[in-house]
This record gives sequence, C-alpha cells and structure tokens, in this order.
Amino acid sequence: MPPPAASARAVLNALPRAVSRQCPRFMSTVRSAQAKRPTAPNPAGFRAQPFQPLVQRRFKYKTVEEAKSRYRSGPFSLKAGILFVIAGAGLVWYFENEKGRMQRKRIVESNKGVGRPKVGGSFELIDQNGNKMTDEDLKGRYSLVYFGFTHCPDICPEELDKMARMFDLVEEQRPGAVAPVFVTCDPARDGPKEMKEYLIEFHPKFIGLTGTYDQIKAMCKAYRVYFSTPSEVQPGQDYLVDHSIYFYLMSPEGDFVEALGRQHSPDQAAKIILDHMKDWKGPS
Amino acid sequence: MGLLTNLFPSSSDADKRATEIRSGAVAPTREERKKCWEARDTYFACLDANGIVDALKDDSKAARACGGESAGFEKDCAAQWVTYFKKWRVQDVQKKARLKELEAQGANKMDVQTDFTARS
Repeated sequence: MPPPAASARAVLNALPRAVSRQCPRFMSTVRSAQAKRPTAPNPAGFRAQPFQPLVQRRFKYKTVEEAKSRYRSGPFSLKAGILFVIAGAGLVWYFENEKGRMQRKRIVESNKGVGRPKVGGSFELIDQNGNKMTDEDLKGRYSLVYFGFTHCPDICPEELDKMARMFDLVEEQRPGAVAPVFVTCDPARDGPKEMKEYLIEFHPKFIGLTGTYDQIKAMCKAYRVYFSTPSEVQPGQDYLVDHSIYFYLMSPEGDFVEALGRQHSPDQAAKIILDHMKDWKGPS
Repeated sequence: MGLLTNLFPSSSDADKRATEIRSGAVAPTREERKKCWEARDTYFACLDANGIVDALKDDSKAARACGGESAGFEKDCAAQWVTYFKKWRVQDVQKKARLKELEAQGANKMDVQTDFTARS
C-alpha cells in the first residue's frame, strides 16, 4: 500500500466533511509532488475544513458596505415590514370579526329576556294540511315568522315574495336550518284550505298556521303583534285586517332573535339570518 | 258536471269568480292580484294626469275624468281594496311630497334599525 494513500486515508477519516474536496486529489497522485512525502499532512486539507467556531460570530457581514447598509436601515428590513403588515392585518381582521360576533351575541342576549321570552312563546295551531302544530315542532332550527292574511291587498303578498326569496337564499347555504312560517291574523276567513291555496303560490315549503280566534289572538299577543279586525263585521262582509309587518327571526330554542322589516332587501335579510346562524352549531 | 265546468269555464263562472273577488268572499290568486294592481296603476296614472290626489274626496271630478279607468279598477279589485288603494294613494302622495321637502332642506336619509337595543 503506497504511503500517500495511507496518509490520505488518515486525512479522510479525520475529516469526513472534506471528502468531496479530497477525492480529485487521489485521482491525480502522480502529478502531486507533495503527496510523495508520507508524513506531511496536507495543509490545504486542513484549510479546506470548514471552521466551526465555538461561539457564534457577532457580525455576519462579509463586507464593510454590507455592515454599513445594515447599520443605516437599523432593525427594519423588507422581511420585517412584510411580517409586520401581515400580523397587523390579521389582528384587525380578527378583532373586527370578534366585534361583529359579540354584537350579534348581545342582540340575541338582550332579546332573550329574563326567565321567559319577551317575544314568542308556546302556541297550538293547525297548519295548512289540518295538522296540529305547536311551538315544540318549530324548535331545533331557526324560524322566520310572518303575520298576515290572505285578503291582504299589497304588503303581505310583496313581503311573502320577499320571504320566499330570502328563504331560498338561506336554504342555499344552510339547508333545513330555517322554517318559514306564515300566521294568519284573520282566522275567520283563513282556514287550512284557504291558507294552502294562498301559500302554494309563494313557496311550497311555507308553513301556514291558523286556528280559532282566541288561539290566534294569544299567538299575536305572544309575538307582540298588533292586529285589528274591524268590529261589527256582518257575515259575508269584506274587510281588511290591520297588522304589524315584521319578520320575526326565532332561535332554535324558540327565543326571539331579531326583527326584519320592510327596509331590508331579501339579500340583506338573508345575510342577517346567516350571520346569526354562524354562531350556531347547527341542528342537533 | 264539476269536471266539465272546470274544463270549459263558462263566462258565468268567470263572472261568479269576479263577483266573489269583488265582494271579498274569496281571496284573489296571484294572477288576479296582478290584474287588480294593473287596473289600479292605470287608474292612478289617469288621476296623476288630471291632477287628482284624493279620489274619495273629489269623487265627482275623478268620475268625470277617469270614469273608464275607474270602472276597470272596480271590476278587477275587491271593493275593500279599491277604497284601501285610494286612501293609500293620498298618504303616498303626502309622504313623497314630505320627503322631497325634507331633501330640499338638506335632510339625510336614515338607515333605520330594527332591533330594540341601543347601539354604540
């Protein structure tokens, strides 16, 4: 075994990191006069070894110019700037989001009432198919409650079309999360049959509720709905019913959430409903 | 019999239905509402053209100026609706005039809130 190879092996063993740089040298041992001396370690080999300092260097700059420019810009750099902007934007978004959530929560809480709900409550009515329906049947999902009557000249039909539109918009995003309910304020003329014929023209999924005069009166009272049937109506005589025209959004627990009015477009109203649902975990 | 009359609704059936709607015995369908609203708009357009606001108060003037339109309006709408729409028109004209007046004074249009809580 020739000595150059042995010395080279020693170097190789001692400096495993320098292997790639050492290899070409073995290939050309003939041309290397230095390599003929067996004991002389290759100084180039040692120089090639990356120097591993025990303590980290304080200055990382290779040139004075670099150091100077670093000194001029201080601790700010493009990277730091970008990070700062991203973190700031993230925080602003988070707080805005949280603010909206808290505001909605406050509306819900303040409308909840203490002990028993201020708006809404238990009822027992019949739907357009003649089946009994109570407040329990509406629980487990949101409900959008509207009061009106089938002989209504202009506002109810317009509002019911609007309700159909907002219901569809909500259904697109959260199917089955809201029940659209229409309650008549004119039980004398609006029986299940009339309700069915009337509502089918607006939306097949609308739930129409009617009942006896006393049941409807109790329902309207619970929902704080004002309605007045003119007094002294002769049988068969036509009349109009005056009533409140709000949509009542009720929570899955049957608590009043928010009232939506004439000034809301279907899209705005759907957005309000969906925003309230954001805080809700879904039908359980 | 019922099937036959449904297949070939005679003019008497249509008349009967129209009479029922006028008297308020049945609630109009979407189609019938649309017809009524169109008759109303035609009538109101005539009142506008003749400068009549309150058709109930100036009924003789309205009848002279828009007799034909009035007959159509009363034919296609429930009698209660006719009265209601005439009253509504007066209020609507007043409301629009008031809004115009306020706008001229530089009032701001307000976004109305619907929940009953105070907002900061």
